[in-house]
Amino acid sequence: MDINSRPLGRRDFLRGSLAAAALAATGSSLAACATSGTGTGAQSSAPAGQVSDTNPFGVQSGSTVDAVIFKGGYGIDYAEFAGKQVEAKQSGVTVKVTPTTKVAQTLQPRFVAGNPPDVIDNSGAGLIGINTIRDQLAELNDVIEAKNYEGTVIKDTLYPGVTEPGTFDGKFIVLNYALTVYALWYSASLFEQNGWNVPKTYDEMLALGKEAKGKGKYLLGWGKEAATYYQTMAIGSAIKEGGDEVRLALENLKPGCWSLPPVQDVFNGLKKIIDAGYMKPGGSGTVFTAAQAQWSDAEDFILYPSGGWIENEMKDQTKSGFKMTGAPEPTVSSNSKLPWEALHSTAGEGYIVPSQGKNVGGGKEFLRAMLSKDAAVNFAKTKLSSTIVKGTVPADGFGSTALQSQIKMLEAAGSNIFSWQFVDLYGMNTDQLVVWNSFLSGDADVAKLTKGLQDITDKVAKDDSIKKVQVS
Amino acid sequence: MTTLTSGGLTSGVSAPPGGLRRFGSARWRKRNLTFDKITFFLVFLVIPVAFYIAFVVSPFVQAAYFSLTDWTGFTPAMNFIGLSNYAKLFSDSTFLQAVGNNILMAIVIPIVTLGLAMFFATRVTVGGSTGGNVKGLRSSSFYRVISFFPYVIPAIVIGLIWSQIYDPNSGLLNGILTRIGLEQFTSFPWLGDVRTARWAVMFVIIWGLVGFYMVLFIAAIKGVPAEVFEAARIDGAGRFRTSVSITIPLIRENVQTAFIYIGILALDAFVYMAALEPGGGPDNTTLVMAQQLFTTAFTKGQFGYACAMGVVLAIITLAYAGLVFAVNRIFGGKSEVGE
Repeated sequence: MDINSRPLGRRDFLRGSLAAAALAATGSSLAACATSGTGTGAQSSAPAGQVSDTNPFGVQSGSTVDAVIFKGGYGIDYAEFAGKQVEAKQSGVTVKVTPTTKVAQTLQPRFVAGNPPDVIDNSGAGLIGINTIRDQLAELNDVIEAKNYEGTVIKDTLYPGVTEPGTFDGKFIVLNYALTVYALWYSASLFEQNGWNVPKTYDEMLALGKEAKGKGKYLLGWGKEAATYYQTMAIGSAIKEGGDEVRLALENLKPGCWSLPPVQDVFNGLKKIIDAGYMKPGGSGTVFTAAQAQWSDAEDFILYPSGGWIENEMKDQTKSGFKMTGAPEPTVSSNSKLPWEALHSTAGEGYIVPSQGKNVGGGKEFLRAMLSKDAAVNFAKTKLSSTIVKGTVPADGFGSTALQSQIKMLEAAGSNIFSWQFVDLYGMNTDQLVVWNSFLSGDADVAKLTKGLQDITDKVAKDDSIKKVQVS
Repeated sequence: MTTLTSGGLTSGVSAPPGGLRRFGSARWRKRNLTFDKITFFLVFLVIPVAFYIAFVVSPFVQAAYFSLTDWTGFTPAMNFIGLSNYAKLFSDSTFLQAVGNNILMAIVIPIVTLGLAMFFATRVTVGGSTGGNVKGLRSSSFYRVISFFPYVIPAIVIGLIWSQIYDPNSGLLNGILTRIGLEQFTSFPWLGDVRTARWAVMFVIIWGLVGFYMVLFIAAIKGVPAEVFEAARIDGAGRFRTSVSITIPLIRENVQTAFIYIGILALDAFVYMAALEPGGGPDNTTLVMAQQLFTTAFTKGQFGYACAMGVVLAIITLAYAGLVFAVNRIFGGKSEVGE
């Protein structure tokens, strides 16, 4: 008997199994797209409890609040703390806090099946693009109009403008909890030691770069995943220089928005610094936390544009005696439309309440607890970062110079606080990183940077399948 | 192989007394649907096929359908939009660049990896001293273990290790290069420079896989009778000639399998890229399709469009497998040397 005369020869079998293997391997990426079944999402009207001043959302006794919290730099203990507050105030209510690090991946099937959690901290790199789910979110106006656990209307306890980043087409649907101040960070002790002043314009930055070079230090530096921190600074500077006109052009993805004179002036100012060699080289190949440690620990460079989370993020890699302090982003000229003190501040950690959740009232009650004094103070104290609730940080900033300076900057800015959303709203950051990395490493000039950013913007603007948010 | 037929083990259709039953024998055909047979079918055919359909085929079909819709991924609702996702795909310069990167990787990585693996495999099996028995280099088992090490480490860890090695300012590579006096590599961003990024990541993937394919080839070469190599050597064939004319033709099937597997890996490469170049690299020179698919689905909330990318990736992978089979055929894969 010859093996090959069998109906299924060995070689054929091998061939078949190879093809199957090829298929199976391909499948992994294909099948990733498939759902686990599409539920129709029975609209579950929450069993309403008695609505009262102490229970403004009518949370029923005995119900459970399902909270899914992003576990990132802030951890989840502050949310568990708030959950305990809810349980103490509303007898019989249980709060289940579940951590996740990849919000979109974890919750996507639950949204499709129509049983999302009652409250979600939609944050981190894997957040759900708000644009894709905003029709499915409950409006949160009643949360901030309710009274907190101390009896004050919540709206009156918040910093100005904090609901704006969560408002889309007039609907307030995202409650951003952690107040984030964007600034140019430096070590006050190092500056004092060398007699340096904080630069208020790009020309002053260039001059400071020369002095720093004299001490063997670079002016600025960056990491590959965080190259767009410079975009954040540049947009901030451009808005200060050109006012709302610039902000609205960018927010509404206008053709040529990156070519507006204030934007170009900022880009040129940065380019001068890069060309002068004041930017620590190699950033496009450096992991961002390593790059940040070159600033906070090795002090290879002296200024770093970032958000207020930087202190918490670099806690373990900060040189002792490094008085981390923030300064507003520089302007182009001294007669800018907004003063130098104007501040790019927005709130992060976007809490959402899906309208299809089983216990919508419970989700809102959870937010009410978070916005009450105990939970807000607890957050500020343990995370060294302010919430959107005013007056929770004492003058000594719990011993943190960064937190002190954040509060000072907010006070100095007064009502000159601005922010924008188009980058995150349309998920542009990944594409923009590429362009910024080549600009910061000196490979691309201002024209190439402008064209790259404009192409990304135009691509979104022209894509009819992407819903746009009109900003005015 | 003929010894089997001459033996009394399976002598024709007439069933051997109390011997083995053979499929196709008259006795077997008469016995319809016994309990044994039904349970056999159930366990070995119906259940696996059902699983296969439920967990492999149906997701494929579903994904292919979703690629024709505008599904965002977070609602049960979706609209059928025909082929417009595909139309968009072929004018999406970023995606096309990712396709190009993947194709380059699917060409370079298999050839270099398998070339090196073959070289090492022949060295440690038949490439030893030219006198005496055919054998590998001295202490070949040591080399075998060493070269298998990288494969033991998970891909994600390999990626993270190498991203540290490539670090411009504190990485091992630049440390060595500047120490030996190559000052131009001070702060050189291997993963951040358009000229080097794609080669740097390909090097890491090759580094991680050579050991595995080497062991695969060693096993195949060990299956070839030593007399064949001895005969070749008596005929005066050198090491190179032996590899090209004897080894490779004799283990052709293994090489083909290896090509398919590593090609699929190169067309995916998601894990390595997630660790080394999560952002797609300088000017997107290391962006791969799987990365773009992932961002489109989860960051941009365009699952329908992402599914279209998945379908294209699947088609390219199948085309690659087909190409490997075709090339093997053209270069004489039909001659049954491997049997």
